[in-house]
Amino acid sequence: MEAAADEEQEGLSAQSPAQAPPSSASSLPKEQSQVELELRLLQALEFYPPSKLKGIHRHFILYGLMEYLRKSLDRQFSADEVLQLLDRFFNLEMLKPDDDEKDNFGQTEEFALPDNFFKKEE
Amino acid sequence: MGGSSNTTTTTSGGAGGKDKDRDRAKGSSVSFTEGEKVLAYHGPLLYEAKVQKTENREDEWRYFVHYLGWNKNWDEWVASDRLLKLTEENVRKQLELKNQSGDKTVRTGGRSAQHNPKGSNADAKGDKEDTKGLVKGKKRKNQLGVEVAMIPKHEKERRSSESLLMSQFPVTLKKQLVDDWEFVTQLGKLVKLPRSPTVDDILTKYLEYRVKKDNKISDSCAEVTKGLRCYFDKALPAMLLYKKEQKQYKEEIKGDVSPSTVYGAEHLLRLFVKLPELLSSVNMEEDALNKLQQKLLDILKFLQKNQVHFFLSAYDGDSKGADGAKGK
Repeated sequence: MEAAADEEQEGLSAQSPAQAPPSSASSLPKEQSQVELELRLLQALEFYPPSKLKGIHRHFILYGLMEYLRKSLDRQFSADEVLQLLDRFFNLEMLKPDDDEKDNFGQTEEFALPDNFFKKEE
Repeated sequence: MGGSSNTTTTTSGGAGGKDKDRDRAKGSSVSFTEGEKVLAYHGPLLYEAKVQKTENREDEWRYFVHYLGWNKNWDEWVASDRLLKLTEENVRKQLELKNQSGDKTVRTGGRSAQHNPKGSNADAKGDKEDTKGLVKGKKRKNQLGVEVAMIPKHEKERRSSESLLMSQFPVTLKKQLVDDWEFVTQLGKLVKLPRSPTVDDILTKYLEYRVKKDNKISDSCAEVTKGLRCYFDKALPAMLLYKKEQKQYKEEIKGDVSPSTVYGAEHLLRLFVKLPELLSSVNMEEDALNKLQQKLLDILKFLQKNQVHFFLSAYDGDSKGADGAKGK
């Protein structure tokens, strides 16, 4: 048995990578597109920080991420897909909502229409 | 550098289009006098200022300036490299710099000015502002840790007026909002609650309409309507009500009830007016923002199409008898 194993291993170097035996994911080189996907996602996070994924803006942040990926990888992404991708890098449950919310909604402000709504249109 | 500039520092050699640093020529022979009105650099922009005091220290002139229209707290000592003579050409430069800074939040230094965020309907604020559209206020750090000014009301108005959404806001819906304003603020009436259809119903109907039209479910559309619902629930009590509606709100919305299940099209429409302001926190990429605004406009058109069914044509007198209201 051992001899066979040895042979197999020696044979490995002579054979193409496609015939590499299965091993743990981390030791295998990732598919190029997978790498690119993750790279784009991480780039997108510069505009759409994960910290905002728990606040009131979360749906629009997600929208932004979906759009970014769609544009850079030229295919549609569902919200779930994006969330799953993010889940690999962040523990989404542990995210704390941003402080920004306090600034937007902390104080009550009476509603007011912009002046130009009152002007007569021609 | 040691050019023959008697009057202004910018005229020598026609200095258009170069980096602003060249204006701050060291060893410039320009000097200013007490009481003189000048243009002074504060950060990347120029502001009208007045020289209060002058001082010569180690053969260098320094000027204590007061920024016109600004709190005295901002007064400071500056060297001549921060000042420009108040000429037409320099004023044009001031305008140019202001336009270049565009819609981005203007970074400011210095101490915090007095700023009253609880603006009233009018644009009047505690701290007077320069008519050229300065954006100074409390210092605050944004998510990148960069100090930015808290956005005063007129800046919010400017953003709103520059947004695609606002510029293409359907006219009949604008009129709807004006009528709404008149009913509530001028005639003392209120929208009768609960409404049907509710905001929730309307957003759901919109999705159904889109699915029918496109023959597929758009994930991004769904996300947008979820986002609007989310905004509505938080924004309604905070910024979508007229003062006269506060009482009704407290009576109708108790405990965990979501405003989007009680209020209807009248208040949803008000949310759209606030969207440019709300979305500015998201800091979206330009392309994505444009696409989003197209979607939002599509929703408005949907509201317009169904205006008769979604909106009330008349409001109730306040049935609980508020101060001097006409009961009915």
